[in-house]
Amino acid sequence: MAAAQAAAGSGAHGRFTGAGLRRVAGKLGGLALTLFLASLLVFFSRFLVPGDPVSFLLRGRKPSAEAVAQVTAQYGLDLPPWQQYLDWVVGALHGDFGRSLQFRQDVATVIGDRLPVTLMLVVMAGIGIAVVGVGAGIVAALNRGKALDRVTLIGLTVLSAIPSFVGSIVLISVFAVQLGWFPTFGSGDGFGDMVYHLVLPSIALAIVFVVLVGKVTRSSMVEQLGREHVEVATSRGLKRGTVIRRHVFRNALGPILTVSGVLVAGLIVASTIVEAAFGLSGIGSLLVQSVDRLDFPVVQAIVMFVVTAFVVVNAVVDVLEPVIDPRSAAGAGAR
Amino acid sequence: MSLLDIRNLTIDLADGRRLLHGISLGVAEGETVGLVGESGSGKSLTARAVLGLTPTGSRLDGSVMLDGHEVLGAAAREVRALRRHSAAMIFQDPRAGINPMRTLGDHLTETLRLCDGLPAADAEARALDLLAAVRLPRPADHLTQYPHEFSGGMLQRVMIAGALTSAPKLLVCDEPTTALDVTTQAEIMRVLVEQREGRGMGMLLITHDLALAASVCDRLVVMRAGRVEEEGSAMRVLVAPEADYTRRLVAATPTLAAGPAASAEPPEAPTASAPAGSGPGSSDAPSAAPAPALSVTGLSKTYRPRGRPPVIAVADASFELERGGALAVVGESGSGKSTLARMIVGLEPSDGGTLSIGGRDRAAGPRGRAERLERARSVQMVFQDPYLSLDPRVTAGRSIEEALRLHTRMPRAAARNRAVELLERVGLTAEHAAARPRTLSGGQRQRVAIARALAIEPEVLVMDEATSALDVSVQAQVLDLVAGLRRERGLTLLFISHDLAVVRRVCEQTLVMRRGEVVERGATAELLDAPRHPYTRLLLDSVPRPAAPADSVVAPR
Amino acid sequence: MTTPTLAMRVLRAPRASFIGRPTFTVAVLVLAAMTLGAVFAPAIAPYPPDAPDFLAVNAPPSPAHWLGTDGLGRDLLSRLLYGARTALLGPLLVVIGSTAVGMLLGLLAGWRGGWIDAALGRVFDVLFAFPSLLLAIMAVALFGKGLVAPVIAMSIAYAPFVARLTRSLVKAERTRPYVAAYRVAGFGGAFIAFRSVLPNVTPIVGAQSTLNFGYVLAELAGLSFLGLGVQPPTPDWGAMINEAQAGIVGGHFLPAIVPAVAVVIAVVAVNIIGEELSDRIGGGAPA
Repeated sequence: MAAAQAAAGSGAHGRFTGAGLRRVAGKLGGLALTLFLASLLVFFSRFLVPGDPVSFLLRGRKPSAEAVAQVTAQYGLDLPPWQQYLDWVVGALHGDFGRSLQFRQDVATVIGDRLPVTLMLVVMAGIGIAVVGVGAGIVAALNRGKALDRVTLIGLTVLSAIPSFVGSIVLISVFAVQLGWFPTFGSGDGFGDMVYHLVLPSIALAIVFVVLVGKVTRSSMVEQLGREHVEVATSRGLKRGTVIRRHVFRNALGPILTVSGVLVAGLIVASTIVEAAFGLSGIGSLLVQSVDRLDFPVVQAIVMFVVTAFVVVNAVVDVLEPVIDPRSAAGAGAR
Repeated sequence: MSLLDIRNLTIDLADGRRLLHGISLGVAEGETVGLVGESGSGKSLTARAVLGLTPTGSRLDGSVMLDGHEVLGAAAREVRALRRHSAAMIFQDPRAGINPMRTLGDHLTETLRLCDGLPAADAEARALDLLAAVRLPRPADHLTQYPHEFSGGMLQRVMIAGALTSAPKLLVCDEPTTALDVTTQAEIMRVLVEQREGRGMGMLLITHDLALAASVCDRLVVMRAGRVEEEGSAMRVLVAPEADYTRRLVAATPTLAAGPAASAEPPEAPTASAPAGSGPGSSDAPSAAPAPALSVTGLSKTYRPRGRPPVIAVADASFELERGGALAVVGESGSGKSTLARMIVGLEPSDGGTLSIGGRDRAAGPRGRAERLERARSVQMVFQDPYLSLDPRVTAGRSIEEALRLHTRMPRAAARNRAVELLERVGLTAEHAAARPRTLSGGQRQRVAIARALAIEPEVLVMDEATSALDVSVQAQVLDLVAGLRRERGLTLLFISHDLAVVRRVCEQTLVMRRGEVVERGATAELLDAPRHPYTRLLLDSVPRPAAPADSVVAPR
Repeated sequence: MTTPTLAMRVLRAPRASFIGRPTFTVAVLVLAAMTLGAVFAPAIAPYPPDAPDFLAVNAPPSPAHWLGTDGLGRDLLSRLLYGARTALLGPLLVVIGSTAVGMLLGLLAGWRGGWIDAALGRVFDVLFAFPSLLLAIMAVALFGKGLVAPVIAMSIAYAPFVARLTRSLVKAERTRPYVAAYRVAGFGGAFIAFRSVLPNVTPIVGAQSTLNFGYVLAELAGLSFLGLGVQPPTPDWGAMINEAQAGIVGGHFLPAIVPAVAVVIAVVAVNIIGEELSDRIGGGAPA
């Protein structure tokens, strides 16, 4: 007892002090290591392909002596592999991913031109997923076992089976071609027009992912609803709304945030399909185009971009965890 | 006027099962009533119904009058008002009962701020008063702390303070100390009784522990399977129980006094041990006798978690256990008793010291299959949690067969017969052989675990809190079984327990541990009647005892 | 511990079974019918999959063409039946491959712990950063279009999910007293790991893998839709939609909608089966 009291005294307000900083530093270290290993995979994957690297990079193009010399010089293909890797990484850290074979421009420029559309698409879809998913999850959890819960769950299961290319063609068929409410093609000019153009694509993109957030919200809420501290709060005469807000939803946030973090990379990748379906000029369609036209430097850069986005977003979620759950700051892993 | 009056309360689940069959009980102002029953008796359901907390989809009938208001069928607003001002509840597990993601200050002031509209500063002042009243050391600091920074006992004080914020007239306590150590239990009960007396509250104490209830309550209500079996003054129910069930319950309840309950004590096993001396490591008897079944000298274990100070789990433990003897190791959580058991059965390597079983050194881990099997034949263990210690996929019979076939190369059919024999020996039948653990009760599972341990015919059997998860009546049956097996087979037993009263039934010798150290050892009867070490005395004083009629203080010191 | 473990733990948290027994039966029958259709496509398809009928281009459903025809006058029902072969076989291979590899690695990491666990955990962390579709696209960029490279890539991409789940289950099992009881009884580590722990975690992992089947099916079809997977004129659901896309603006919805509906029905059926299995099994394993 005395020992417990002493323990309760120390370590009290240490949420963002020494231990907290060490935690963040550890996370950053892990992030750097993951990115480093991922970059190895992205770069050296090229060496998995049997044969001569020059002819790999120039697949489908005329291998003129001039082109061979240019590619060899540009990628340092005559250098040892680790040297090539170092050059690539150092360049990438400076925003230089080499030159695109198809556009004869810097890869960074090519990607930069197309980034806004993809980001806008992902943001719009993300907001939709969060609102609809969390909303559906809450409705289902609060009506657990009743008809509304069943309907919500069945709805989510059906939505989860509509891949974005199916969603795209259905939305185009109905709302763009038949009803003519939305454009079928392109991303528009200016902010307002862009939002308008991206309504259907963002819906098509969001459909599959709503189910993840919805189910996690539901099960996390249901789990909390069954907790004894919720019963205690109820027994103390708090209104149901207050109990739900302060003790159920608040405590259920952690898993919801976690899943949302995992979604980000999935959204960027899935936008390749939506962009292709709606003829949007984003990095997703650029990726497909580059694979199609054998422009490997662009592929590498985009893959690295997606991976980085995933790792960074998840590191942010990790670092935020103690704000939501004080126990994780203390390293008391218990739930 | 009676504060709480429950009449003919029935609860039916949505699927039609009836959980309560017409319960009636009352609590007068300032009165303490104990509601006693084993698991499944419906005592917690009854307690929750007082505050209008009922299983979803259940149907209630009868009447629950709280502070002059009917709870059943009342509007949500009325029920909330009753919860705010008439009754408050204290739950079993404070760690589960306080939101882990909010500060204790938030827990304490939330209802004051949100329901009574008190300004934050006033609410905090009230919280500080209450934290001081339940004797927490630094109230001002505690307001900004989180539950995970506290021990279970301290959290239960916070829970009590939280219940008191609404100045309730009735305090409903649902097993408030079951999750706690015995010394902490005594402290918490003292705080509860103190607050009840100081505030003139009525109290409804729900517990499975007859002795605890009798020690603080004016009246007792005994429940079983959704019915009230008996009701009366605490002394009367305990001393002269009328209902059959209550009589059995009283008989099964282990007590410290060597009363009639001690009849289950096994007849004296080989008495070579003589009246053993007391004090740690006092087993330096002349070694003309054959090697003891179990001998431990200077055994220690220290855990070194990363980034935290090392924890000494067991420090320099020494003792011997003769063949056919039974030694109890008693201690509270964190005493190192389970670590000691795990080292003896080889689940945990030791840091230092010697361990020999049946005269063979067993301190080092076994190398190779033969050594492993030999080690297993030296000692077997029955674990605490009967729900987790059997492989969920494997039937009772097969789990015994597997052990038999591993050790004896018995043909399959012979092993099967032997398994059934063993099951019958522990009071089960051949039909249980085909049952998966899921379909067995807690007591049946522990019997299967004992049968499996016996199949290997070990020199020593270790039981690690093997009966503490069981209801008292089931516990009594399992203890009787163990006593019978000792008589019959001369089984050597090491019995780990937190419960001094249980120990008296099973073991001639007892060893008390605290924070990794052996503080006292001696013959059980002597140790319980005349403890020498202050800690043993504290432990004994903390065990709830029905108060003598004139005496209403809990756990006299 | 990084995030996906938590995500998966949450995903398999107990939930009320909202799928009735009849729904489950229907899902099983639908999937069985699709499988049979794929296997016996040559016997039951009314036309060869790439036989054009120039008199019936973009035709609506008729007795001759039950589901109509596409822009080249090919019979949609026949193409659908043949297309089921690649659509179902790809995911099957991915699920088998990722489950086998993932379970073994997960058992290794969870049972042995220590540096093996740490090293494997790091590898999984890295692979998690590559969404499966991205890895599949990268494989196509390296090895060319078709189904082989993406199937291998996706097996690799899904294995860490299975491994993580297996690992966390095994780790939890390992601390259960029944494992300690086996040890005390003298059983060896290999026996406990393979004969007791592995069978105890297999049902949960299996149900989760069934759910992966739906995702993989959608993703591989998506890859073909992008023109990176199965190449025309080979009939494949994704590739059919790709080919039909140009016709949509002209109002010819059927050639795209028919395979799209097939994808949705297949995924719904598989997901219902997976959910129901998870629900049934979830009850048996205390979390």
